[in-house]
Amino acid sequence: MNQNKFMHFMEEKFMPIAGKIGSLRHLVAIRDGFVGIMPLIIIGSLAVLINNFPWDGFQNFMVMVFGESWKMVGDSVWNGSFAILSLLVTASIAYKLAESYEADGISAALIAVGALVVLTPVTDDFGLSFTWLGAQGLFVAVVTSIISTEVFRILGKYEKLRIKMPEGVPEGVTKSFNALLPAALILFAAGLVNTLITLFFGQSIHELVFSVIQEPLQGLSNTLGSALLFAFLNQLLWFFGLHGTNILGPIMESIYLPLIEENQSLFAAGTSAFDVPYIVTKPFFDAYVFMGGSGTTLALIFAIFLVVKSRHYRTVGKLSSAPGIFNINEPMLFGLPVVLNPVMLVPFILIPFVLTIVAYSAISVGFVPKTVAILPWTTPPILSGYLVTGGSWSGVVLQLINLSIATAMYIPFIMAADRSLMKNTDSEDFIQEERKVSGQ
Amino acid sequence: MKIALVCSAGMSTSMLVKNMRQAAEQKGIEAEIDAYAEGELNQHMEELEVILIGPQVRYLKQRISGKADSYNIPVDVIDNMAYGTMNGDKVLQQALNLTS
Repeated sequence: MNQNKFMHFMEEKFMPIAGKIGSLRHLVAIRDGFVGIMPLIIIGSLAVLINNFPWDGFQNFMVMVFGESWKMVGDSVWNGSFAILSLLVTASIAYKLAESYEADGISAALIAVGALVVLTPVTDDFGLSFTWLGAQGLFVAVVTSIISTEVFRILGKYEKLRIKMPEGVPEGVTKSFNALLPAALILFAAGLVNTLITLFFGQSIHELVFSVIQEPLQGLSNTLGSALLFAFLNQLLWFFGLHGTNILGPIMESIYLPLIEENQSLFAAGTSAFDVPYIVTKPFFDAYVFMGGSGTTLALIFAIFLVVKSRHYRTVGKLSSAPGIFNINEPMLFGLPVVLNPVMLVPFILIPFVLTIVAYSAISVGFVPKTVAILPWTTPPILSGYLVTGGSWSGVVLQLINLSIATAMYIPFIMAADRSLMKNTDSEDFIQEERKVSGQ
Repeated sequence: MKIALVCSAGMSTSMLVKNMRQAAEQKGIEAEIDAYAEGELNQHMEELEVILIGPQVRYLKQRISGKADSYNIPVDVIDNMAYGTMNGDKVLQQALNLTS
């Protein structure tokens, strides 16, 4: 009875809030913006990984075949991808946000990039500072892209601000002239902000925001406490059938991307993966906690094959195996179901908690190196454990340990669910259902 | 008829799309079924007849409905169990019920 009350309460109060957050326009734009630049981020990450692969044979071979300077290729790929993260994401968020308003996306993206560069310090020999175009400038980049696009959209509504073009001028030209006055206002405003801040604080807005907001927040997010909080929220959202990873995405990316970036650039510069600073990163969760998807459902699949008898569960297990290897688990979450299933609530939330603690401990005492690579989240476990640590088998060992713990923890719960399903008179329906699914 | 399925990354929904196409073929129904991200939906609004939303992003329903209403396209969230078991037959039926 109490359980029902709790479920009801969550459905009524918690879900609508989570749903609202998940569909907030600006957060959605930030999330989609990050999704858009992911290919480049992964390529940059790959370049660093190749350059620093810890096999002497491989390193010697590359030097022998291509000469000492073979790493230049990877280094310059890094410059054009991860190193200009903030620049890329500014364009991408502005575009997505403008698109959601059905405003001109390309103009919005260009203006936002311009505004960001206006705010970015110039080096002594008149170059753009990579220091701030990368992950360190991320906060300023995200805020700039949102504000600039909002102003652009609002100004765009006023007919008076549009420059009248004679009839017959192609639409593309008219459009770009429509953007002229809003763009001028935005860029001059950005220039003014930049000048005032530099005059009053003696440093750029990037340096100010980084030292006052971003750095403290990053220190905070590298703690076990915040890792557990993230794991908990993600699981809770998924338990109610909401895309936790998606809803938490904007926060996750803005706070955790700079951490992995710093790990990675130090790794690229020759620091060992043990000595880079940050333990908690997005790859940390992907590789050690959410194996097979949120809730470590790969372990649930193992548990099903080990102990379960009912056909429904076995069918769902089979159906979920192939996607599960690539960390896709919707068939499992909705088919078993895990979603809104009181029996599964405890392990589903508890397991990622335990795994986070185990992984955090293993890394902080130095058994396992820290994460130094971003992989596509669909990279299968084992492979991901090896690559994410910059090529260390201890990462794989940690994954195997965590998978074993998770499987052992799922077993009693799935057995209980199995027994009650077998007793349940409704099980006939399930059998019918799965016959259709498996085509028998 | 044209059916759109909306989800987040399109990974798991594409499996369901495959099963739905099979189901449609078996029943002899001519249907074009595709998975879209929410953002892509706008470009296709005019051609669509039904929009079904994956249960994990059901919070998008209100916003999608807002746009789809002006085109008179029915919008619904896919049944949890049918989605989880990738039951193409059942979801196709859900789509058909919405249009009739």
